[in-house]
Amino acid sequence: MGKQAKLEGSLKCYLKYGALISPLGQNVQDHYTAFCDNKSGINQELGTGFNSEDLFLSKIKHLKNSRYNSLLELACKKIVEAYSSSFLQSEKTGIIVSTTKANLEVLPSDTFASTISIIKNILNPYHEPIIISNACISGVIAINTAADYIRSSKFDQVIIIGIDVLSDFIVYGFQSLFALSNEACRPFDKNRKGITLGEACGILIMKNTLDDDFSVEYLAGATSNDANHISGPSRSGEGLFRAVTKAIERSGVSKKEIDFISSHGTATLYNDEMESVALHRLELNHIPTNSFKGYFGHTLGAAGIIETIMCMVSMEKSVLFKSIGFSEVGTTETLNIVSENSNVDLEIVLKTASGFGGGNAALLLKQVK
Amino acid sequence: MKIISHSYLNRFGAFVNGDLILSGQEDNFLKQYFVQLEIDYPKFYKMDSLSKSAFLGDFLLKNTLQNMVNIDEKLQLIFANSTSSQQTDLKFIESYTFKKNPSPSLFVYTLPNILAGEIAIKHKWYGENIFFILTKFDSKFFIDQIEMSFLRGNEYCMCGWIEMNGLEEEECFMFVVSKTVHWVENQEASNELNQILNNYRNNGIKRTIKSSNN
Repeated sequence: MGKQAKLEGSLKCYLKYGALISPLGQNVQDHYTAFCDNKSGINQELGTGFNSEDLFLSKIKHLKNSRYNSLLELACKKIVEAYSSSFLQSEKTGIIVSTTKANLEVLPSDTFASTISIIKNILNPYHEPIIISNACISGVIAINTAADYIRSSKFDQVIIIGIDVLSDFIVYGFQSLFALSNEACRPFDKNRKGITLGEACGILIMKNTLDDDFSVEYLAGATSNDANHISGPSRSGEGLFRAVTKAIERSGVSKKEIDFISSHGTATLYNDEMESVALHRLELNHIPTNSFKGYFGHTLGAAGIIETIMCMVSMEKSVLFKSIGFSEVGTTETLNIVSENSNVDLEIVLKTASGFGGGNAALLLKQVK
Repeated sequence: MKIISHSYLNRFGAFVNGDLILSGQEDNFLKQYFVQLEIDYPKFYKMDSLSKSAFLGDFLLKNTLQNMVNIDEKLQLIFANSTSSQQTDLKFIESYTFKKNPSPSLFVYTLPNILAGEIAIKHKWYGENIFFILTKFDSKFFIDQIEMSFLRGNEYCMCGWIEMNGLEEEECFMFVVSKTVHWVENQEASNELNQILNNYRNNGIKRTIKSSNN
């Protein structure tokens, strides 16, 4: 107990923007502008399906081959421009990468090798980057893990990178599961038809000290397994219920203080239904909630990072962004889905994620006064 | 923390706490162990090699798990390997390039953390899960993760290093660590972990030489 009290009490963790690249822009400001206009990165891409179907995807234009490597290089270079080499090369700086598939183009060679080599070449860090590959909750877990490293004094700051790119592999895989929508995804809507896949890279910096840049405090996080099915969400939302409950307990805030929930919201029938059940059980169904998937599509290993970045933008600008694609309640339990952009001061924000393997993850952010 | 139990399996044998339980005799050694251990779990046959080996590695630890309290909530699963789900990835690619039929039952196993999901389902464990990609087994890395897991409030960790890629270095090493039993310092635990794995690997190599002499 003594040790746990120390963990929760002593070292604070602060998150600030690193980089954000998606079809909507090359930096956080581009994304703020796009989100204010409710602009989506999703477009119809001709002949991209397994049988040359025209699919809706959130695809970055003008990305050189190999797409994964060039996206990671672009994002890392933005970090080099913004941070000193003494920061990047410090023994107290760690790097954590969240990706589900990394660079699939090189199979059967090591798909994760380029992640390490690109980061080493560009950022020249003291420590080997740590890679987390835990399906769609990887991004949220990466942020939680960064906080573990800071609170146990192993690092003073962590560069957290979330990245995945579109590939035939991923597209055909989700097609084989009949999980893709034949229009831009519509999270939580009555007429939702499934996932729209996307690609992006987001980078966050977590530090144990505050500086002049806009930052939010990271309070706590948790994960929980559904213990139910490897590729389908639990009907009772058990894992999500437990992950959020645990994260709230660890954060020391009360449920009533939560101002906004950035949900997973993939727009599959079962996922969104499960989330509505879990949030109802948590008595959080009245809290303003959105899914950023209508803007970015589902970016897998990048999702938890880029959606946390947009939570921070919401907190910085005091704005709730509309959940694109939602018009009519389509879940058993009614959620308070954000239907128009609106100006609201946000103190405490909850971010959740759920994914294959039965994983669920949650984290809580707090406005810094 | 204290390492309270460990298991190891590869094509040459299945071990618990250093003792050889079964010798590998068939090419399909995972199936052979499953049959010989008389496990009743039909879902096993649907799993890929990574999940099958994790399932067996977990089964070999069953005696240890019996005495743990609140295990369904307070045990974290921490797994890692270097080749992710590459073997299944290649089979899935084959299903759409050569067989012209992307296989959903293969696709769902193209994520390494699925093996943790299979273990969670088997036991009805709702605890925390994480999967790392590391270039090689790193005892200090595991001990760091376990320490941080305990600081977050977990009481036990089941950890694993599982490489099932069809190549020579195939192995499934699993171990259970308890927060409360006989406190051992991190460095000591890390050294012990290296020694345990090296002993298993050396046993494996000895058996390789023996079988190639026959």
